[in-house]
Amino acid sequence: MKRKFDHSVPSQRELSGPKYWRSLDELADTPGFREHLAREFPEGASSMEGVDRRHFMKLMAASFALGGLGLAGCRRPESHILPYGQSVEYTVPGLPLYFATAMPLRKSAIPLLAETHQGRPTKLEGNPSYLPHGGASTTLAQASVLDLYDPERATAHTKGNDILTVAQVNDLLTSITKTYAGNGEGLAFLADESASPTRTRLIGQLKKKFPRAIWAEYEAIQDEPPVAAAQAAFGQSVKPIYRFSKAKRIVSIDADFFHAEAGSLYYARDFAKGRRVTKPSDPMNRLYVVESAFTLTGSMADHRLRLASSHMLAFAAALAGKILGTSDYDSLTKGIGLNTEWADKCADDLLANRGESLVVAGADQPAQVHALVYAINAKLGNIGKTIDFVEVDAPSASSISALATAIKAGSVKTLFVLNGNPVYNAPVELEFATLLKSVPDVIRYGYYYDETSALAGTHLAATHYLESWADARTVDGTIVPVQPMIMPLFNGLMEVELLAILAGEEKPEAYGQVYATMGRDQKGFEKFLHDGLLENSTYKTSNVTFDAARISPLLASVAAATVLSADNLEVRFITDKVDDGRFANNGWLQECPDPMTKISWDNTIMVSPRLGKELGIAPTSTKILNLISTPQVARIGEAEFPQGKENAYIGEVTVNGRTLRGPMHIQPGLANYTIVLPLGHGRTKSGHVGTDAGYNAYVIRTADGAAFATGAKLRKTGERMKLANTQEHWSMEGRAIIREANYEGGEKSYQDEPNFVAGIGMEDETPGVYGAMKPEEFAKLPEAERIHLTSLRAQTTPRGNSLYETPDLGGDKAKFEGTHQWGMSIDLNTCIGCTACVIACQAENNIPIVGKEQVARGREMHWIRLDRYYSDGKADAAAFGAEGNKILPEDPQVSLQPMTCQQCELAPCETVCPVNATVHDEEGINVMAYNRCIGTRYCANNCPYKVRRFNFFDFNKRAYDALYMGPLGHQKEMPELVKMVKNPDVTVRMRGVMEKCTYCVQRIQQAKIGQIRKAGASGNVEVPDGTIKTACQQVCPVEAIVFGNIKDEKSAISLAKAQDRTYSVLGYLNTRPRTSYLAKLRNPNPLMPDYAALPLSRVEYNNKSHAGNGGAHGASQAEPAHGGES
Amino acid sequence: MSKIFPKSINALPVQLLIFYCVLGGVAAAGIDYYATPKYLNVGYQPVQPVPFEHSLHAGQLGIDCRYCHASVEKSATSSIPAAQTCMNCHSQIKTTSPVLEVVRESYKTGNAVPWLKIHVNPDYVYFNHSAHVDRGVSCVECHGKVNEMTTVYQAKAHSMSFCIDCHRDPAPHLRNPSDVFNLDSKTLADQGKLDEAKQFVHDWKVKPPTSCSGCHR
Repeated sequence: MKRKFDHSVPSQRELSGPKYWRSLDELADTPGFREHLAREFPEGASSMEGVDRRHFMKLMAASFALGGLGLAGCRRPESHILPYGQSVEYTVPGLPLYFATAMPLRKSAIPLLAETHQGRPTKLEGNPSYLPHGGASTTLAQASVLDLYDPERATAHTKGNDILTVAQVNDLLTSITKTYAGNGEGLAFLADESASPTRTRLIGQLKKKFPRAIWAEYEAIQDEPPVAAAQAAFGQSVKPIYRFSKAKRIVSIDADFFHAEAGSLYYARDFAKGRRVTKPSDPMNRLYVVESAFTLTGSMADHRLRLASSHMLAFAAALAGKILGTSDYDSLTKGIGLNTEWADKCADDLLANRGESLVVAGADQPAQVHALVYAINAKLGNIGKTIDFVEVDAPSASSISALATAIKAGSVKTLFVLNGNPVYNAPVELEFATLLKSVPDVIRYGYYYDETSALAGTHLAATHYLESWADARTVDGTIVPVQPMIMPLFNGLMEVELLAILAGEEKPEAYGQVYATMGRDQKGFEKFLHDGLLENSTYKTSNVTFDAARISPLLASVAAATVLSADNLEVRFITDKVDDGRFANNGWLQECPDPMTKISWDNTIMVSPRLGKELGIAPTSTKILNLISTPQVARIGEAEFPQGKENAYIGEVTVNGRTLRGPMHIQPGLANYTIVLPLGHGRTKSGHVGTDAGYNAYVIRTADGAAFATGAKLRKTGERMKLANTQEHWSMEGRAIIREANYEGGEKSYQDEPNFVAGIGMEDETPGVYGAMKPEEFAKLPEAERIHLTSLRAQTTPRGNSLYETPDLGGDKAKFEGTHQWGMSIDLNTCIGCTACVIACQAENNIPIVGKEQVARGREMHWIRLDRYYSDGKADAAAFGAEGNKILPEDPQVSLQPMTCQQCELAPCETVCPVNATVHDEEGINVMAYNRCIGTRYCANNCPYKVRRFNFFDFNKRAYDALYMGPLGHQKEMPELVKMVKNPDVTVRMRGVMEKCTYCVQRIQQAKIGQIRKAGASGNVEVPDGTIKTACQQVCPVEAIVFGNIKDEKSAISLAKAQDRTYSVLGYLNTRPRTSYLAKLRNPNPLMPDYAALPLSRVEYNNKSHAGNGGAHGASQAEPAHGGES
Repeated sequence: MSKIFPKSINALPVQLLIFYCVLGGVAAAGIDYYATPKYLNVGYQPVQPVPFEHSLHAGQLGIDCRYCHASVEKSATSSIPAAQTCMNCHSQIKTTSPVLEVVRESYKTGNAVPWLKIHVNPDYVYFNHSAHVDRGVSCVECHGKVNEMTTVYQAKAHSMSFCIDCHRDPAPHLRNPSDVFNLDSKTLADQGKLDEAKQFVHDWKVKPPTSCSGCHR
């Protein structure tokens, strides 16, 4: 039976919809597309029009009429296959292609591999050829691909209200070179920092051509140690490269080298090498952190001292005095009440580890601190061992203040602002916006039409780095190419081209310019592009000699630090997820909860618990069932904290007469009188996502106090606002969710009791994961036996001691009969909580953002989250009203845990699904069949790990602020551009569907299919170990996640799971998770004043579990003496 | 009361019952027959922008499927050829044919020939051609004898049960791997060699997934 369908020839309009990216630049020129883009997010327009009844009736009538006429609605929808006109080399439809590129950020870069689908980049991975990163990448790198498809990026070159064509832009630039031909008087540039060799070369030419032109560079954030310090200490232009893996003892002085410092990925990975232990005989480094904010580095510390940033010099001086055995620096330590015992004992530990220790100072600290730190490292013999100094070019650009002076003097006629956003983030005393208005001709080159563009006469649209030819250098100097993955979507201008035109190059094409810089033949250049890096191009190591006499003049010019109090607060500026504000319009980053505060979408004024109490904003009581009022803060009260909505007080910060307002959040672990203000939020002219998200901390930030400033006041206003907090509860309350032990020393340490995890938790009293065997018995088996049993258990469903016998679904065969049995192991000892896995998962699995409003309702969609727990050893067994539960901890220990679907073998979610939408596959994955799900949400209710996510709205289809539009309302769908970031191998889920982690099943299936193609008649269909990496595993900077086949007893995952520290979260529920965790270790120094013989979470566990035993067991054993604030 | 309702009303409940049973039965039968891929999809034969004859190219001329559908052994999709592939021959044969104008135009401008999709899987189904043709599943099994079709139409239902029947018991549907692209060949079972097919399933470890994650991600 054949039926002919004569579809009319598709109209041009129909074809333009689903056409792929190659047509977008053509499309971008059509007025219809422009209008479409403009309409998607009307600036400031109200979108709540609603549906009036008349409109509804009209629509219904129309659809009835259509239904009656020839059943047009039943006709099969037409779809098209649009092949290429001419084949594209290497492109096989359906298969991704990978190209090497790099994401430049300030003076460093992250080498990347971009996954492209028919020329459309969708996912970025670290370039494994660059060994220091080993294929890892960062949160920012993962999220940067979203910016490429941001519908609110600058889509045209504009002059006033007119749109400039590419030819007009070229004419404009050429005319400027003609105007200023000669000496370039009156021409000025303000650019961001970069280490690109091509840019450096072109700047050189530019300076030659226009000798009197000003080239200034400005970055809001200083992420590399000041060159002045190295210059003073060594008399050379060098910068330090730390070798954390070689250091046994590490001291960080306000340096957040896991996040804020340049090369944080490089350093985090190196640090993890010295942190990772697989057996008790492995060495483990010890980390001391002195800091004012509570950073990820601080959360990893074995000893942490809370100290104001302005007092760091005193600490460094105390440490240097002790190590160098001199009293020269004693004067610096006086006057602020610094308790030097902590520094002394720390110094002793460093002295005992000469040549294997490392002291690091934060880039934000003044040159004096760095000079002292260099002195310490030199004295300890660390230079050349744990710290190398490499030659870098002395900075030649002038500063923004020099430029400001020139503008004030009226000597700048034409100003180019390249990237950056000085109107938003320049030091506030410069009043850059006013200055900019006084320059006759401002040409702004930028990716977004932002605060600076609004004041510039001409805006040139920049290309994304995934659309550009350029080059960059990683933190160690390796030269990496920046290759375009796609033609510029909106005819953007590449930076290299812009500079080349101005420098008068005859052929300004960016490719040719980069080629010329590299100075290689075609073959060599192609190898450079293929590898994604230039071998042996790191900065040259320099032999430096330290001379104490050289730093004395530097130290002589120090202003005295002041004692801080509630009337003399210190403000500390930090960066969080959106960097300096350049990523403010990135929804993935904005929605990603901060790993410490757990707040998404907003930044807060972070205050210490003590200051919070003094201000009267600390939660005081909880109303249980709205009846009994009990003092209780471990569960921050319902009244204060209705689920997910933190009811924050608005505070007003005043420094030097400048004020800002923002919500206050009590953050345990801060120095008592330091308030922490994250930068980069509160943009006034960004896109839909970034505008007005949070408050702007730049409005009180001056050049002198760029990192911290004292003399601030904080006032509580009467107003309050709701913050979207994804984890309102901070205490584990003595439960064995994260298991910890000290590495050595004390009778319950890892050395003493390698299988300590078996002694914690309730598994030995329940059916448990170990079948009939008690965990302690299991732990005592030889390793090979444990691996074998683990592998065996993955293939069967042993009844164990369970009352209920699980039916084996394969009849007489085992339940899990697949070729592979997948499992995962997460090492809590190396996890630094950077949230890169959260964003990598979001990019890989098409996870939508939902907006602040929905996050506050607990509807965030992240498949993997980071749980953060505080413990101070005081939380009590009694849940309510007990003394230990009333105090917010001032100086807690932090435990972080990535939590995602545990792939339980006996999954509670499966038994309650009425439609079998979530079931097991034969390889042990708890799968979700989205097309079968009817959205009862029973599974989420029955999940003990709370890792299932429900699409309450069409998050993928609609903009997050237009979710409520009903099906008959104005369908405000996501622009076509946003859809281009989607991974074609993963279903885009719709409203009413449950979703969750699937161990990246798409990657598993592709690898399996790849393997069977290879296998052929050999029948070797088992995927080799290491072929499949889940998105979270691939991105992890510290290699904390291992994934693989546990049926294969030689695989990396089998070995990881066989470690002593392996345990299952909530194992006593007999869920038998396939994901297991490796317990966290702490490595405290018994001589330190704040030594705790047991991790504080362990103390709380003992308090809770053995509370009935007269308290002899727990609390008395390890009453921690707190270092507190000195 | 009998004055209000006539006696025949007494039969009404039974009549209604029968009526609803019949109505329900008809509706069920109707849906079962009409609202299935077997009825809705099989036979779909749209008019393509270029009247390409598979019976001529693949049948009479004997061009291998893979000449045009080049990625079938490598990729999830079998790929519709670029206009360039057509022009390999048609730059010399029928160079002025008006029906080929669309192809020549596409080759020149790069704009795609808007072929109409015949075999449509839902977006949540991830079918992989390479996995199938590698393991003895011939094109014919899902697409029918395309080499005899003048204009291609959908020959098989492509419903979930169509897939899962074969996944549960692949042996009867398999061919010798060398016969996969020979559309006139017979399955091993049809050649009376079902044992050989079963041996093939065993030796090659043909274990088609029958759980959700095999096709739905």
